Amino acid sequence: MRFRAKIVDLACLNHFSRVVNTIAKLAKTCTLRLTDSKLYFILADKVANGGVSMWCELCQGNFFDEFQMEGVAAEHNEIYLELVPENLSRALRTAQSAKAVKMKLTNKHCPCLRVAVELPSLSSSSRIVTHDIPVGVIPRRLWNDFREPSVPDFDVSIYLPVLKTMKSVVERMKNLSNSVAIEANLSGEMNLKIETDLVSVTTHFKDLGNPPWASEDGCQSSAQGRDLESMAEARIDIRKLQQLLAGQQVNPTKALCNIVSKRIVHFILLHEDVSLQYFIPALA
Amino acid sequence: CILHCFLFLLVFGRAIHAIARISDEFWFDPIEKGLALRSVNSSRSAYAYVFFSSMFFQHYCWTAVSQKEKQLSLPCKLIIKSVLPVFRCVNVLERNVEKCSIYTNINDHHITFQLLCKHGVVKTYNLTFQECDPLQAVFAKHMCPNILKVHSRLLADIMIHFPTSQEEVTLAVTPMKVCFKSYSEEDTDFSKTMLTEIQLHPDEFDYFQVGVDSEVTFCLKELRGLLAFSEAASVPVSIHFDVSGKPIAFSVEDMVLEASFILATLCDVEKETGSQQPPCLSQQQESNTEAVASKKPLWNGSAPSAGAVKPASPLAQQEMKNIPGVTKREVTGGAALEGAAESCQKVRGLPVSLGNTQFLTSKYGIFQFHSLFFGAVSCKEKDAVSHTFQSLATASDTEEEFGHVQSSQV
Repeated sequence: MRFRAKIVDLACLNHFSRVVNTIAKLAKTCTLRLTDSKLYFILADKVANGGVSMWCELCQGNFFDEFQMEGVAAEHNEIYLELVPENLSRALRTAQSAKAVKMKLTNKHCPCLRVAVELPSLSSSSRIVTHDIPVGVIPRRLWNDFREPSVPDFDVSIYLPVLKTMKSVVERMKNLSNSVAIEANLSGEMNLKIETDLVSVTTHFKDLGNPPWASEDGCQSSAQGRDLESMAEARIDIRKLQQLLAGQQVNPTKALCNIVSKRIVHFILLHEDVSLQYFIPALA
Repeated sequence: CILHCFLFLLVFGRAIHAIARISDEFWFDPIEKGLALRSVNSSRSAYAYVFFSSMFFQHYCWTAVSQKEKQLSLPCKLIIKSVLPVFRCVNVLERNVEKCSIYTNINDHHITFQLLCKHGVVKTYNLTFQECDPLQAVFAKHMCPNILKVHSRLLADIMIHFPTSQEEVTLAVTPMKVCFKSYSEEDTDFSKTMLTEIQLHPDEFDYFQVGVDSEVTFCLKELRGLLAFSEAASVPVSIHFDVSGKPIAFSVEDMVLEASFILATLCDVEKETGSQQPPCLSQQQESNTEAVASKKPLWNGSAPSAGAVKPASPLAQQEMKNIPGVTKREVTGGAALEGAAESCQKVRGLPVSLGNTQFLTSKYGIFQFHSLFFGAVSCKEKDAVSHTFQSLATASDTEEEFGHVQSSQV
């Protein structure tokens, strides 16, 4: 099992750092899956995570100048590693002016992802900063736990409002309540509602637009034939929503969510070369 | 004596903050030439000394008070926590405060810090001090085989790669390269710890002298204060050190001020000897310095447990064990003392002689710390005998005082 990669372009490095920073805000520990064309940051839905799950996909070609990997076996040319994304984020944080950043999988005392940052210096030779990030190698028999989640059979799909606005609304609501209800309809209207003994607050968004989903097999999905005004609602943990919104460092090209009434909210945030899906289950 | 001065707040405030990282109290010692601040941490593994010459102040007035005992200076101890609020938010201070005065009056045991701020606001802080014995450490900087000099900006740029939670850092040098790396104890779970290492070329240093290959591990947390201070004062930092076990000194100096932070470094000692061994033993190894320098700490999975709870860091180990006071000194026995005396004499001009309390901790593990010795020079005869050193030099120049260091061991 081998992995070696290199980033030379500063813009790519900053972009990659931002992705890692976002992931670090969403998960303490996650799985990094490497294939020869893509990288994935995955959080499987376990009770420990509060039922949230995450799937983030990047094309390695958009970030790395060099990328070589050899999986566990020829027919399973993939590597699954468990790591703490905050460590990776920290290693990249001070690499803002780097000449090059190299990453490779090593195994000295234990398996590590070694990030070597070559920094400009006053002398002839560069300054090299090396970070050894411990990783756990996930054996093949557990790979099934990390399959790509399918898009749920949602009741309503709607584009999100401007994330900055949504974030500041949710942040203030967080002070008042532990849970927030998201409801939306097929007329482009969304409400965020909190309700406590003392106060209830609702923020209304309109004209958001509903993304068109082509149904795969042509049969009716829950969304079709649905009354345009009828709201689908799910009540979720407000902190999880706030974490998702706070972690976004750049405005996505597209941001939408799919609501399965009383079950789950599925967020999709798309950038040019990164896609992030985040699932927050509804509270009982 | 009366001390009365106005100051460059930012630099002075940073000095106080730097010292605050060492200990909760510090020695405030005005002398004719200027004002000295000193501090030592409870485990005696870090010592800070900052001296502001009278020229640093807009106005400096010092009057000796004649007393029966001939004392040249009045050192006194202040609690840092009481002083810190005066210099909190140092960056803001400079904008709002027009003048700061410090007055001392020994008769009523008060030091007064008075800040004259904008809009006619005057803040006065009256702090009580305790009289105490002077504090000074002996350290022969010029005897160190390894000297590096670098601008504080570079040092800050290096340390930024380590997380703020990183306690200890190892500095490893050979004539060809310099490396700073994060340090973990032998029983660290490597599968959970991220390790960082920075390699530099000697060219990056303004002055580079490596007489002996060495790897010294010291406490980064205590140093960060000095780094902030030297950046504020915009002066280069000199690093004097030797092999592992011997202290490392970070110092800055310019025309109106000087500061030294002397930190103990981790000492690699074989644990086979089993019984109590004087920590000075490792100094005997100085003769084969190559062996010492290249020897990596032994990463035994099972560190010998003295039955005590493992503290957070090797430095902290010292803290827990070093508390025994004067009375326990004799317990360790003359034999150990003599051994120490001999080995200390073998070592050229080593200021790192140990307070006897050190011996109680020597069994603790593979690693030990040499702690710096601080003799409280006191006029009381009894105390002078029980301390192994009688006379001390000032931290920055130590030429003539050496002779005393060795001969006063009994």
